[in-house]
Amino acid sequence: MRTGMLFLLSGLFLLTSCAANVSSDELHGVVLETPESKGSFVLTDTDGNPYDFLPRTEGKLTLLYFGYVNCPDICPVHLAQIGEVFRQNPEVARNTEVVFVSVDPARDTPEVIRQFLDNFDPDFVGLTGTPEELKVAQEATGVPVAQIVGDGEDYTVNHAGWVIAYAPDGLSYSIYPFGTRQTQWSNDLQVLTTFP
Amino acid sequence: MNRSVRPGVRWLAPGLVILLVAAACGGGDDGGPTISDARIGQPTGPNAALYLTASGYGEADSLISVETRVSPTAEIHETMMGDDGTMSMQPVVSLELPASGDLVLEPGGYHIMLIDVERLEVGDEVDVILAWEKAGNQTIKAEVVEPAATMDDMEGES
Repeated sequence: MRTGMLFLLSGLFLLTSCAANVSSDELHGVVLETPESKGSFVLTDTDGNPYDFLPRTEGKLTLLYFGYVNCPDICPVHLAQIGEVFRQNPEVARNTEVVFVSVDPARDTPEVIRQFLDNFDPDFVGLTGTPEELKVAQEATGVPVAQIVGDGEDYTVNHAGWVIAYAPDGLSYSIYPFGTRQTQWSNDLQVLTTFP
Repeated sequence: MNRSVRPGVRWLAPGLVILLVAAACGGGDDGGPTISDARIGQPTGPNAALYLTASGYGEADSLISVETRVSPTAEIHETMMGDDGTMSMQPVVSLELPASGDLVLEPGGYHIMLIDVERLEVGDEVDVILAWEKAGNQTIKAEVVEPAATMDDMEGES
């Protein structure tokens, strides 16, 4: 099933890079052929407390993203776009849990993650863990496990470039690859708070 | 093209008028690249990304390095998406500017990574020196914008 999702993704990514709006009448993200359920994992939040993903996000629109703080190009754009929707629509903000998982545990301490997320919204949840815990979380979610590339201080991290949205019923109907427009985010977050 | 004219040197000459004209035109008046949409996403971590569009001036050229005063290191990088949707980033030695046409640096593609960048506020203007293989040094101004606004110039593309 996970392989099928990835296969679907590779095709759809190309499609979305060319078309602003794909898919259904209601959602403007990349709509999955088969909705995906949430994975189960426990990581550590920026206060140092355990964060059990399933119970903590139950019944809420949940946006899950794996990234890293040193990423200057695409990571801030996703989060800033979501933060912008929150500012414009407090109702959406109240009903949505944004979960950013750092896949760069060596550099991204809880403090670094918190500082990063506060640029966008102080309520965004930031998570970290051991490399093994992070691997479990990514596999449970069905994204490719991030890879460290390069040596020394300036290494980079190859990571899944899309945000996964889980509707309040716990299923993901759509994902948001890099290149998603502000207008698409704005539309879909409003739709998803009461989806399906 | 007159290769002895190096915009970076000429712009050091005193005179606000020259500076203003240079900033407004973004180069190109002496046959060098014309720069537009130069922008830096407000830093949210230790690094920031600089984007711009350079327009060809009749002769192919290469962007070989970039300098700013706001970061000790500026590297040319490319973000790429793998078949499985994985995003990766790697340094690039130089970027080709076609004789006619544009070299576009934008989110999700080429960018200048400003490493260990200092704190910048939205609206700040940052002097950036672009080193071209043939046109020489060119000083431009890049505006600091909200992170999401780095995408603005991509809006409308399909």
